Amino acid sequence: MNGNALIQVRGLKKHYNDGAVRALDGIDTDIKKGEVVVIIGPSGSGKSTFLRSLNLLELPTEGSIVFDGEDIAAKHVNINKHRQKMGMVFQHFNLFPNMTILRNMTIAPTKLLKIPKEEAEKTARDLLKRVGLEDRADAYPSQLSGGQKQRIAIVRALCMKPEVLLFDEPTSALDPEMVGEVLDVMKTLAKTGMTMVVVTHEMGFAREVGSRVIFMADGVIVEEGTPSEIFDSPKSDRLKGFLAKVL
Amino acid sequence: MADWLEKLKSDFILNFVEDNRWMNITRGLKNTVIITIFAAIIGVILGLTVAAIRTTYDKNRETMKKNGGIGYWVMTFLNNVCKIYLSIFRGTPVVVQLMIMFYIIFASSTHGVMVAIISFGINSGAYVAEIFRGGIMSIDNGQFEAGRSLGFNYLQTMIFVVLPQVFKNILPTLLNEFIALLKETSVAGYVGVTDLTRGGYIIRGVTFSAFMPLVGIAIIYYVMVMLLTHLVSRIERRLKKSER
Ligand SMILES: Nc1ncnc2c1ncn2[C@@H]1O[C@H](COP(=O)(O)OP(=O)(O)OP(=O)(O)O)[C@@H](O)[C@H]1O
Ligand SMILES: [Mg+2]
Repeated sequence: MNGNALIQVRGLKKHYNDGAVRALDGIDTDIKKGEVVVIIGPSGSGKSTFLRSLNLLELPTEGSIVFDGEDIAAKHVNINKHRQKMGMVFQHFNLFPNMTILRNMTIAPTKLLKIPKEEAEKTARDLLKRVGLEDRADAYPSQLSGGQKQRIAIVRALCMKPEVLLFDEPTSALDPEMVGEVLDVMKTLAKTGMTMVVVTHEMGFAREVGSRVIFMADGVIVEEGTPSEIFDSPKSDRLKGFLAKVL
Repeated sequence: MADWLEKLKSDFILNFVEDNRWMNITRGLKNTVIITIFAAIIGVILGLTVAAIRTTYDKNRETMKKNGGIGYWVMTFLNNVCKIYLSIFRGTPVVVQLMIMFYIIFASSTHGVMVAIISFGINSGAYVAEIFRGGIMSIDNGQFEAGRSLGFNYLQTMIFVVLPQVFKNILPTLLNEFIALLKETSVAGYVGVTDLTRGGYIIRGVTFSAFMPLVGIAIIYYVMVMLLTHLVSRIERRLKKSER
């Protein structure tokens, strides 16, 4: 086993309808500390299913996911403890609409980590400052633009001090002029050494920020490598065809 | 003074003033209010419980099945009990349920009001359960996933994230259910409980004049319903305003 693998995935399968749909059909990979793994691939290739399996929002049909020395895909695992250390950012933000921005960010740390309210709020305000939204602490999600909501969603996840952040197409629901502000936050985050797994269609981001790019198709990893290996010298025809379409 | 006005006045005195007949009305009104309030409380507790069981089962079936063990079977059993309860109590008339309760299940009880409270409460619970369940189901699954991904367990996600939104959304519907309940309690007289309706009915039996007592109680019901309706629309407006 690789010593610095934060998440070790082996033989991961997810089948629907008794195997009629094989969303994931045997995934093996290690996600190392500090890595920014970017997952690309055509629609329906299983990118979201893979990402959502990592924190068990999807229950694997088969295989193992070792995180913090425990196979979290096994029976009777307290997944809630592990999820506290795996932040997730969704395509549609999923902020809590009935809470202020500050409350969105402090509810989990105060309730789950038992961090005192003042301390949690201070952490939250510091993070808000880092993404340039310190003046929106008392606003409600519906008062924010899409780009602002997604930046809040990112710092909400950070408030739990996670070991890894999972992103499922974080910019796909945004107006084009707001994509940049979210990607900028993610870039900054990557520079601080945060481990990130990012499903995205933003090839520019993948090339610039990714330490490794995984190309998926039909529920399997077809090709993986550094951004330049994937984008400049693709080997498989599937990847060549895909890149021809998206670049 | 016009003849009809004279007639109205003497009618009023005959039906409400003489022999303190108005007391039938106030006693009945008191019971109507008591039955409605306590039945509503039972309805909410029962409805919330049933909705919790049903949605927990729906949302966690896959995980529970995977982990195996007794939990899955217990939840399946409870879920089926809830389904049967909903089906029976929404599928039969409330007045028939009331009579079965009074003449069969609590046949030895002399506490008519109590039996009426239990009966209307259980009936209302079936409707409230579906209101809550609809409310929970209408919350975007992304809210559950966001809660769970932060590390909240299923119950914490419900309590901290989902239910506050549900309460806000369904409050008007819930209050309308209680308005319907208030009117429904008017069949309590079938098992001899002196509610508002029966109070008016008793007066009619003594004075042999139907107009004054029946229109009288109709007005009282109407005023109560209008007050509650007004309250609901005010709350609705408040909620809309806070919907930023
Ligand atoms: N609940 C489900 N039941 C049946 N099939 C499903 C279910 N969820 C996903 N699938 C199937 O699994 C496959 C992988 O889906 P997934 O959402 O992971 O793809 P994706 O790569 O994220 O696609 P996109 O780029 O469109 O988001 C698809 O064929 C999809 O239809
Ligand atoms: Mg997807």
